[in-house]
Amino acid sequence: MNDFGYSRAASIDEAVALARQPGAMLLAGGTTLVDLSKCDVARPNALVDISRIPGLDEVRLDEDNAAIGALATMSHVAVQAGIRENFPAISESLLLAASAQLRNMATIGGNLMQRTRCVYFRDPAGYSACNKRDPGSGCAALGGIAHDHAVLGASDACIAVYPGDLAVALTALEAVVRTNLREIQIRDFFVEPGDTPQRETVLEPGEMITEIIVPRSPLSANSTYLKVRERKSYEFASASAAVGLAFEADGRTIRDIHVALGGLATKPWRALAVEEALRGKIIDEQAIRDVSRLAVEGAVAQGANAYKIELAPRVVARAILKVGGIQ
Amino acid sequence: MATLRSMELEINGRQHALTLEPRVTLLDALREHLGLTGTKKGCDQGQCGACTVHVDGERVLACLTLAVQAEGRKVTTIEGLAQADGALHPVQAAFVEEDAFQCGYCTPGQIMSAVACIREGHAGSDEEIREYMAGNLCRCGAYPNIVSAVRKAAKEVA
Amino acid sequence: MSLTELNTKRGDATDGAGPLGNALSRADGPAKVKGQATYALEHKVDDALHCVIVQSTVGAGRVVSVDRAAAEASPGVHLVLDSTNSLKLRPQPDFFGNWPTGEEYTPFASDITHNGQLVAAVVADTLEEARAAARLVRVEFEAATVVATRDDPSAGPGNPVPMDKDWGDPDAALAAAEVVIEATYETPREYNLPIEPHGLIAHWEADDRLTVYEPSQWIDGMANNYAAWFGVPFENVRVVSPFIGGGFGSKAQALPHSAAAAIAARMLRRPVKLAVTRPQTFTAYGGRPATWQQLRIGATRDGKLLAIDHDGANETAADGTFVETLGVVTSMMYDVANFRSRQRIVPVNTVLPGAFRAPGKNPSAFALESAMDELAVELGIDPVELRRRNEPEVDPETGKPWSSRRLLDAYAAASEAFGWSRRDPRPGSMRDGHELIGWGMAVGTHPVYSSPGEATVRILADGSVEVLSSAIDMGTGTYTILAQAAADALGVRAERVTVRLGDSRLPRAPVAGGSQLANLMMAAVHKTALAARDELIALGLNHPGSPLRDRANTLFISEGRISTPRGEGLAVEELMTATGREIIELSRDTLPEADRSSDDRLKLFTTVAGMERGTNIPVSRHSFCAHFVEVRVDEDFGTVRVSRVVTALDAGRLYNPKLADSQFKGGIVMGIGMALLEEGVTDPRNGRILSANLADYRIATNADVPHIETISVGKPDYDATPLGGKAVGELAIVGMAPAIANAVFHATGKRIRRLPIRLSNLI
Repeated sequence: MNDFGYSRAASIDEAVALARQPGAMLLAGGTTLVDLSKCDVARPNALVDISRIPGLDEVRLDEDNAAIGALATMSHVAVQAGIRENFPAISESLLLAASAQLRNMATIGGNLMQRTRCVYFRDPAGYSACNKRDPGSGCAALGGIAHDHAVLGASDACIAVYPGDLAVALTALEAVVRTNLREIQIRDFFVEPGDTPQRETVLEPGEMITEIIVPRSPLSANSTYLKVRERKSYEFASASAAVGLAFEADGRTIRDIHVALGGLATKPWRALAVEEALRGKIIDEQAIRDVSRLAVEGAVAQGANAYKIELAPRVVARAILKVGGIQ
Repeated sequence: MATLRSMELEINGRQHALTLEPRVTLLDALREHLGLTGTKKGCDQGQCGACTVHVDGERVLACLTLAVQAEGRKVTTIEGLAQADGALHPVQAAFVEEDAFQCGYCTPGQIMSAVACIREGHAGSDEEIREYMAGNLCRCGAYPNIVSAVRKAAKEVA
Repeated sequence: MSLTELNTKRGDATDGAGPLGNALSRADGPAKVKGQATYALEHKVDDALHCVIVQSTVGAGRVVSVDRAAAEASPGVHLVLDSTNSLKLRPQPDFFGNWPTGEEYTPFASDITHNGQLVAAVVADTLEEARAAARLVRVEFEAATVVATRDDPSAGPGNPVPMDKDWGDPDAALAAAEVVIEATYETPREYNLPIEPHGLIAHWEADDRLTVYEPSQWIDGMANNYAAWFGVPFENVRVVSPFIGGGFGSKAQALPHSAAAAIAARMLRRPVKLAVTRPQTFTAYGGRPATWQQLRIGATRDGKLLAIDHDGANETAADGTFVETLGVVTSMMYDVANFRSRQRIVPVNTVLPGAFRAPGKNPSAFALESAMDELAVELGIDPVELRRRNEPEVDPETGKPWSSRRLLDAYAAASEAFGWSRRDPRPGSMRDGHELIGWGMAVGTHPVYSSPGEATVRILADGSVEVLSSAIDMGTGTYTILAQAAADALGVRAERVTVRLGDSRLPRAPVAGGSQLANLMMAAVHKTALAARDELIALGLNHPGSPLRDRANTLFISEGRISTPRGEGLAVEELMTATGREIIELSRDTLPEADRSSDDRLKLFTTVAGMERGTNIPVSRHSFCAHFVEVRVDEDFGTVRVSRVVTALDAGRLYNPKLADSQFKGGIVMGIGMALLEEGVTDPRNGRILSANLADYRIATNADVPHIETISVGKPDYDATPLGGKAVGELAIVGMAPAIANAVFHATGKRIRRLPIRLSNLI
């Protein structure tokens, strides 16, 4: 680890000011940053501990929205009755992530900002080529074993998967990321790697997540997060799906449906084609399974990750079947 | 030059004054600077749970916590779990009775995790115990006995 | 007098009476649950510096230069070591007999044969400083072509290993067989991964006196490593390892990083602490090599095996030989009149593989037991029945009778408990919602090895007892069962016995490997305790101060009381006081009569020369087990979850059934991981291990493990070992992976012959 300085911010303004020091990074739960510092991927000169800024760890619910403070921990948010009842996909995505210990540490804002688990990215000693770490250096994953790499949203510069769970649920539920400067729709928050994989979100220097706003709706209340992985627990997703579904008054016709995918793409991936194909339809298992294949439209395999293209539609279908009350 | 920082940590109810670099993790502070070696280093990267301690009563990983982040918090380690007279905590006693370990290296982390698991209300069934203890790897494969021990201790604590 | 006449009785595997055979809780349990058990790096050694190692980032080639300047200038740094400035040691062979090249040895490589090889080390005041400086060491490599795995075409077919096994005429028998199963079975690189990573504190107390605190499965072997490297007498090296945070075969020898720490400590004249990081452990020593085995099995339509033709191979290092003996189970499990087994090793650019729980036996059983299931399916015969029909009367390889083989009892007990009779043999015949349910079974076995041991027993003035040995306890229960053995022989309560282990100053012991340690140390301690007991009785009968003198011609000791046949007596400590004895101390060993010179002793305890694998024993000695497994496979996702396990085991007499059971279950749990999760992934371009951490190399979590029922069907086997036990520690992992693979076939109709069984295999 770099021999970094440490300071503790008492307010958002102070945090933002301190973060302007050269090489400064914001520290909340530390589960990503301390880890990546040990890997030598993150090389901060100064850490600005924002974890004690008051007022940012609350979860509030009103008639229209949930407002989740950026410093609320994953475990705290997951067990809030208001979240469980009105946004089950959020609660489930949190509880299926990491371990109980890590969920007690990691914050919601930090969770969104977690970095990829790409083994080449995480091993600077072994692989100097990583456009995400060192723009222009190349991509060691291309041509390597890419079992866990992205089949959607990849570029010639980067095929690293966004590993998180919560952001997938938030994508399906059309959350809004509130920062000290502005509000950003979640679909605009994460960016595909393109030629600049070092840039993973639209956050600008001096900008800090303060809150996540999630709109309440029948769809959010009838949502789920389904995560498939080799190990039963304590593992990132091989593929996952967050689905929210609202029926018409007849209880059969789909009024609206949102589908997002995890473990597959370079960012939390919205499956709009699946949504469009199902909106206004009456639900039926075979139709859902057929339509779910649209989730991987345009997917490109890199050899070892080809299974994800077969797996993902099945995860989507099962998640829809679940919230559709069919299984 | 190393950027040293004075800090005061409350560990097992005792204040400890330390001068450490900010990059020193809570785990290394415990093991290398305070002689509290009950907390174990199994991976040092948040992947095994051997370093589980309680901070303000919640289980966390000491390997991904900087010591300085624990300033002003109450840290409890395995050394602080037994009662003052040395009597074992019910979870510790259950681990011995159920033989919930072999080599013993993951054990302090398992026990700190188990105490929290019970306190959180996540010891309601074997299935729930397995899931909520999944963040503590045991290479000796003591899991079935760990589940028995947590189940047993949960009844006693309740 | 028989060793077993005293307070133990013959009978079931567990005696249930007397200290020996009791399900006592672990003697070292309280220390472990309180965090007071001191593992290697936790010994308090004043003024210790911290050492961090640097590993190669190419898979083959050579080190052109090491630029130490930046690291040396980094804060707190005392020393940066590489092959050019390291103290030179005397070359020594490794555990497997491989010698390093050259007249002098340095643990820092200049020629690179694998990615992740030790090339440099940094010593600094603090761990943080050493870690930071290690990143400043600039190593320039000249990379050569890497053969990363055996899948590389240039790896070639490898080299035959002279361990052919042949009998009968397998070619003719296969040609004539009504049914032939032919398939190839593969296992990946697997890693021991004890949760305590390797590391040590090296402390030179004088220029020729070294103390090493290091986790060790073989105190005396490792002390000998250091003594030979540094050219100091064996007695001058003290290895201390009272607790070992798991080893599974990986902690039996001093490794290159061990030498590095000892060199640094010597050069700096300061104690040096070196902790191998978790990622570094993947290349600091080798785990189980990748294996592949081609099997041809010929049988009659009614399920009688006619021939087995086995061709096995494993990866080894480019610069060293390790043989994963793949024909070991194949050759002894079933009655077969025609047999051939061949073994090859294929050198690639990997760290030298090593011993990992049930080496040879484990992958051998994966192939054989998968193939037996395929044969059962082909023949339409129940897999248990097929095995019963081929149960051998004698060891088919050697023709020797079994010391005991209760596999038929194991089939009966486990299938009954599992409910096997309700099994519909058709694949996919059971389902629960989206889950396909499969039932599978397979058998496991492990040979009984034996070596000599030494022990010292002390009876102290307060009536308490001490047992001393350099044997170790890595969770295997040595502390507990040796107390039980001494208590049993001496007639005292086990709680009155303190066992001291894990220090090379104590009486010598061989390697804790091959599941041999419990049996051999029980024999040594029991023998020594009996001698101590005789001395105590002699004291009571003969000492002028003894109240029992001339009250009887023999005395009994029970529950800590020494008494006449009529019951007149006193506590052991009262006798000690009355006779003015401070201590009764005796040492005994189980060495062969011929090998008692000082040199012989050293050799027997610091090499594996003394290990008896069966050649000189008139019976064939093995433990056995039968695993019955239920899996649930998600029909959409291909995820496999083990939902039920019943295993019946014949491991002879269990000295402490509670602790033995923990090892059985531990083997089963590791077998679940092996079947479904564990896979070392290597970058084919540069030989780098891509799964070098505990997230990318998945071991089973608590959530992956269901309720496990174990049933002991063993009985004391005094033909196997003096006190009737057989192999325990490594037994239960053997056969677990094929049982799961067979269950997966039953659930899905898909036969997976390459481990681990991943969801991508099943969708």
